Amino acid sequence: MLEVFAEMLARLRERLAPSGVDVGDLVIARDLDDLSQRLARGEVELVVETVFPTLVLQERSRRLDPALVVVRRGQREYRSVFFTKKDAPIHDLADLRGRTLVLQVLRSTSAFALPKAELERAGLAVVPADDPRTGRAQVRYVLALAEINQAVWVLHGRGDAGAFNEGNWAALPEKIRSQLRVFHETRPIVRGLLSFRAGLDPRVRRLAEEALQGLDDDEPGRAALARAAGVTRFEPLTARDRQDLRGWAAVLRPSRPR
Amino acid sequence: MRFSGIGTRYAVWIATLALALVATALVAAGVIAFRESRLVQAEIHDAVGTARAADEEAALRGTARYLGAHLFNALYQLDVDRLNKEIEQVGAWLPVESFLVMDRSRRVLTDGTAANPRYGDTFDGELPSAAVGPRLVRNGAAAELRFVIASGGVSAGWGVVTLAEAPWQASLRRLEARTAAMWAARRASLLSLGAAAFAVTLGLGLLTALRLSRSLARPLTEMSRAAGEIAAGNLDCPLTLDSPDELGHLARALNRMAGDLRTHEEALRAERADLAAKNAELERFTYTVSHDLKSPLVTIRGFAGLAGTDLGAGNLDRVRHDLGRIVAASDKMQRLLEELLELSRIGRVVNPAEDVALGSLAREAVELVKGRLDRGRVEVEIAPDLPVVRADRHRLLEVLQNLVENAAKFTGDEPAPRIEIGARRDGGGLVFYVKDNGRGIEPRYLERVFELFEKLDPGAEGTGVGLALVRRIVEAHGGRAWAESDGPGRGSTFCFTLSSPRGA
Repeated sequence: MLEVFAEMLARLRERLAPSGVDVGDLVIARDLDDLSQRLARGEVELVVETVFPTLVLQERSRRLDPALVVVRRGQREYRSVFFTKKDAPIHDLADLRGRTLVLQVLRSTSAFALPKAELERAGLAVVPADDPRTGRAQVRYVLALAEINQAVWVLHGRGDAGAFNEGNWAALPEKIRSQLRVFHETRPIVRGLLSFRAGLDPRVRRLAEEALQGLDDDEPGRAALARAAGVTRFEPLTARDRQDLRGWAAVLRPSRPR
Repeated sequence: MRFSGIGTRYAVWIATLALALVATALVAAGVIAFRESRLVQAEIHDAVGTARAADEEAALRGTARYLGAHLFNALYQLDVDRLNKEIEQVGAWLPVESFLVMDRSRRVLTDGTAANPRYGDTFDGELPSAAVGPRLVRNGAAAELRFVIASGGVSAGWGVVTLAEAPWQASLRRLEARTAAMWAARRASLLSLGAAAFAVTLGLGLLTALRLSRSLARPLTEMSRAAGEIAAGNLDCPLTLDSPDELGHLARALNRMAGDLRTHEEALRAERADLAAKNAELERFTYTVSHDLKSPLVTIRGFAGLAGTDLGAGNLDRVRHDLGRIVAASDKMQRLLEELLELSRIGRVVNPAEDVALGSLAREAVELVKGRLDRGRVEVEIAPDLPVVRADRHRLLEVLQNLVENAAKFTGDEPAPRIEIGARRDGGGLVFYVKDNGRGIEPRYLERVFELFEKLDPGAEGTGVGLALVRRIVEAHGGRAWAESDGPGRGSTFCFTLSSPRGA
């Protein structure tokens, strides 16, 4: 895993060296807790993550400041879609109240965190299907482990609806997709975020931002980024991006995975 | 690089030969290895086919039972993703043409592909119950396995696997494919190895060939260079090649030829110098003769005219005087001509050489000029140990007589004139000399005195032929004649050496 980022890191090191900024080592954290602790210990200056883990870390440590959008495989942002069987009596999010939603895994942004946040933002409580508090007011969820399973489970009646990335929807086998329909789409969300540890020297941060945004200036740089898990480029966060992040952060607080 | 050089041509030939050998060896090794691997592959094919065909049916039923249990959890949980992964793995070790997984209602859940085109289709073929066990349907080389996916008595659905061919055939085919792939990889490696061997052979071959060809071609190059030197006239560059073969013989012959040429050239050069000296002498001789013979003629002519005048005037005394001068000039001219004749005879007319006791010959010479010596009261001392030499006795007597007479001529004014005849050792050879204490000679005239008709003192007696005669005789004997003197008033020494006289 480290190897795929090595070249990008080397090029970043090369760009920052003339400014006297040293680039340290790359670490892969085991999970969010591990990353959170590393941030707390000041071991990590820069974090690349998807939106919801970033927001969780921000919420937990208060030491993370998103700065750049990570554009991956040419996709700056995406949205999640809610789907159900063609003939199901479900037409909007509110129709999911008291029904079962098939999600993928807890760590998924597009197939868990984003749909769950979307439902909570719509005022719907989302709880595990086996939660004893489950009632007709909440939306129950089950985890199918894979996107294809989510679709099949809905068709076989193990859930009433599913939700995942719009890309997964497009990739469904035609024979399956033809028996389903999308009844809701979330607002777009950026593909990934690059955040700095709060308190980092502003000059260093500015130099690092400039260097990162310049990595795709030449072909070798673009190739190094592509090898780093399909990164296309780093772009500055727009005001709208920040506003959306604040919105997601607001709904995230009461809806963190339990 | 010039390919015209013999060394380069040798190098190219040797390098080409080495490359051809290496290339042949590599190709032969490749062909043998390829044929052997084909033979081994065919034998494996026969052996495996015979062994596996017999128990394949049992093995397939066992595989179906395994899959029936193994796929239960994934099918029961409708985990299509995992089922697809399992089907993909089965395809890696069985020749699966299609793999259908159906739920309890016989509806196809997945065929293992991403497109999953048969999803939801109802399978209308006969499916076995758990009690019956897997069913194997053969259709030529193809086969179909139908089995229940169940665990602990609970059925989750069915699996239907169509095999394109017998598994053992697929195994062999995979083996063949792997062998082919291996060969493809080896071919690339062999080609790389061949290319590396080619490059190394080319490099080493060229180096070796260059060294070898230089050692082979060096003698020829060396001889070519030497021949060029000889052609350019430089005969002092001998070939240092010392080998026992034909090239060595050739080199030695070239060296001998150069040596002979050098000897002949030196001889030619000496003869040319000798000829030049003789030409010069002849020129001087011609000049001197014409000059000195003209002198009496002028006298004769002058006094003949005076005699005519005196006769017309009737002065007979003067006429007699004039005629007397004419007769004297004629006598002088006769003497000159006689001495010239004598001089010319030396070298042409040679008497046989004989052993001559130089002491007695010296005494004989002294006796011949005794009158003059006595008149001048000249004392003569002859060394007692003069050797016996091999010479033309008559000519050698002339030499000694001329030298003693010459010495006597120029010692007359001394109060105690003295002549010494002797011999001394000089540089390993004997030098004979006639020494006087007379008037001596200026150093610049030491050589001139030997010239024909040359008289340093015009009033002196003689014709000036004597010393020229001495030198001519000595040289005819292979010797050398010269004069030594510390200057005027300090006496003179006339020396000569002798070798074998010519014609002896």
